[in-house]
Amino acid sequence: MRSLYWKIFISFWLSLLIFAGISFWFTSNYLESIRTETEQTSPRHNYRMYRLQAEKIALSQGINELRDWLKELDKREAVPYLLLDETGEDLLNRPVPLRLQQRVSRYAQRRGNDNEQNNADEQQTRHEHRDHDRRPHTIPIIVDNQRYWLLADYQSISLGRLLHRPRVIMIPILVAMLVSGIVCYLLARYLTWPITRLRRAAQQISNGNLNARVTPLLGKRRDELAELASDFDHMAERLQELLNSHKQLLSDASHELRSPLARLQVALGIAQQRNPEANKNELQRIELETERLNDLIGQLLSLSRLDNQQQLDTEPLDFDALVETIAEDARYEAQAQQRNVILVNNPPVKIDANAALLSSALENVVRNAIRYTPQGGAIEINSQLDTGTQQINLSICDQGPGIPEAMLEKIFDPFVRVGEARDRKSGGYGLGLAIAQRAVELHGGHISANNRTPQGLCIEIAIPGYLESK
Amino acid sequence: MIPILLADDDTELTELLTQYLSQEGFEVSTAHDGNSALAQARSGHFELVVLDVMMPGLNGFDVLRQLRVESQVPVLMLTARGDDVDSVVGLELGADDYLPKPCNPRVLVAHMRAILRRSENTSDNNTREAKPDLQLDDLQLQLGARRVLLNNTPLNMTSTEFTVLSILLEHAGEVVSKQELSQQALGRELSPYDRSLDMHVSNLRKKLGLSAQGEERITTVRGVGYQFMKGQS
Repeated sequence: MRSLYWKIFISFWLSLLIFAGISFWFTSNYLESIRTETEQTSPRHNYRMYRLQAEKIALSQGINELRDWLKELDKREAVPYLLLDETGEDLLNRPVPLRLQQRVSRYAQRRGNDNEQNNADEQQTRHEHRDHDRRPHTIPIIVDNQRYWLLADYQSISLGRLLHRPRVIMIPILVAMLVSGIVCYLLARYLTWPITRLRRAAQQISNGNLNARVTPLLGKRRDELAELASDFDHMAERLQELLNSHKQLLSDASHELRSPLARLQVALGIAQQRNPEANKNELQRIELETERLNDLIGQLLSLSRLDNQQQLDTEPLDFDALVETIAEDARYEAQAQQRNVILVNNPPVKIDANAALLSSALENVVRNAIRYTPQGGAIEINSQLDTGTQQINLSICDQGPGIPEAMLEKIFDPFVRVGEARDRKSGGYGLGLAIAQRAVELHGGHISANNRTPQGLCIEIAIPGYLESK
Repeated sequence: MIPILLADDDTELTELLTQYLSQEGFEVSTAHDGNSALAQARSGHFELVVLDVMMPGLNGFDVLRQLRVESQVPVLMLTARGDDVDSVVGLELGADDYLPKPCNPRVLVAHMRAILRRSENTSDNNTREAKPDLQLDDLQLQLGARRVLLNNTPLNMTSTEFTVLSILLEHAGEVVSKQELSQQALGRELSPYDRSLDMHVSNLRKKLGLSAQGEERITTVRGVGYQFMKGQS
């Protein structure tokens, strides 16, 4: 019974069987108890009680009230109680079985005879009294000078009639609710619980936590869902392997590229040394491109190192001094390209950080901003300490064209290109923002990108900081 | 010709560099593993050692650590590009400067010359012993012996750190600009995004600790440079 298929099948099947069984048992028992002989106490007792009630109403009130009472009784009781007149008609005009009509006409005759002959006879009175005790149904109830007999028609209790009586149908409904409720609750829980676990793991993986696994959470379960979970885990494992090997490949390739590049640079230097004027432009171009390649490899290696890094060596730093230094360096670089760097706000703030890593992260963001700002434009750097959350909010805004909303999160991925034309010229976002993101996150911070109006892109960094203790 | 030692396990690269550097007026000896690099560097024959971090046997850091026990020969570390930690470690172990590898050979030569210029200055000082010792509060700098005493306890300092400290101390109470400090202590122009000067100063702060007044001895004057704080005077 390990397969889910059988579990679902059996539970539905069983719950239906149990329901059917119990309700049949109840109804048949009920019918049985009603249908058994009139000698049985309970139906007789009921009859007497109803008859007394009927007599009382007949005496104190009228035929209309009696009719109402009868209607009420009919709704409540599984046994049809008929109130028949001398002609055998029911007060509520219900169909009356022939044998009851005959019985009534018999009673009517006998009573009629009795009344005419020995009305005052003492013995008869006693007899009548005994009659009233033993066979009360033969005694008429008199309303508006009309004689009626209250008769319980035990033989015409049908299932249809039963099911129309709320009091009767309550039992099977309760049984159904209880049985199916319990079974369905257990089944639903059993089915959805592992699915919830699976969903949570899938969410974790999509959030970048590739270590999420489901199988250990499911215990000894062995069914289709457990198989799905184990398949899911296999998939996650494979994904993790692929991603790791992808990262490893990038890192290894970069490592290996360094040696030939180092030789290339020296060989180029020798060529320039020998004859500084020969092929000057071409050699300078080769030198520039080699330098670019060198930067790229350096960034790739920083990124892969950051990806593998779990914790940092930090020291207390003056965050404002760090920002100031970076802004100055960037201004120096930007002014050579007719751009400016404005430090809007930079209050004194302390931070526990790795100086080299944090500076390189901020540099990457600032240099990116310079790259996308048009000539004559300016980059704005704004630092603020939120004393409530103990967070430094640093924004670095350019006056470039901004980026499509859909790309705002993706620019922190390595080598993401936002739009063809623009990036061919500028070289794309490359690795700078990816490195910045890893570095900021290693410091317990968060980095995000937003478009500003009228144009430009803001990189916003929130990172834990504090006021100087002095 | 200036005798230097080039320690790198990439033989093809050392061949090319030997060719390049000899054109620039260096007499290059090469070592391809840590042990032979250490043995040769100890000989005292070289004016400069260019040391690659990644080498079989002893790595560059191990060589530097053992070398510094007995020799103050100037060392230029070639660190792995993309690894900022390497450069910090190198400087802390007493390297005079570092360069990420691969690098432009012109830049390498510029760094080498800067280190040599600096050590020439200091050896001039050594021979002449012209300058008196510097003393400020509990700190004493013996320029001749290149020793630092804090409360009469000697402090372990790298050559660059000593130079930076001596310049700051000479101008105690004044602000020394970063450009000037870079020129004098590192022997080269200050270039943007170059953090080696900041790193040397940060190491100095750690070694010196706080002053008797419980304050930072070297303060950063933002946008300008560094200042060695005079005590009460």
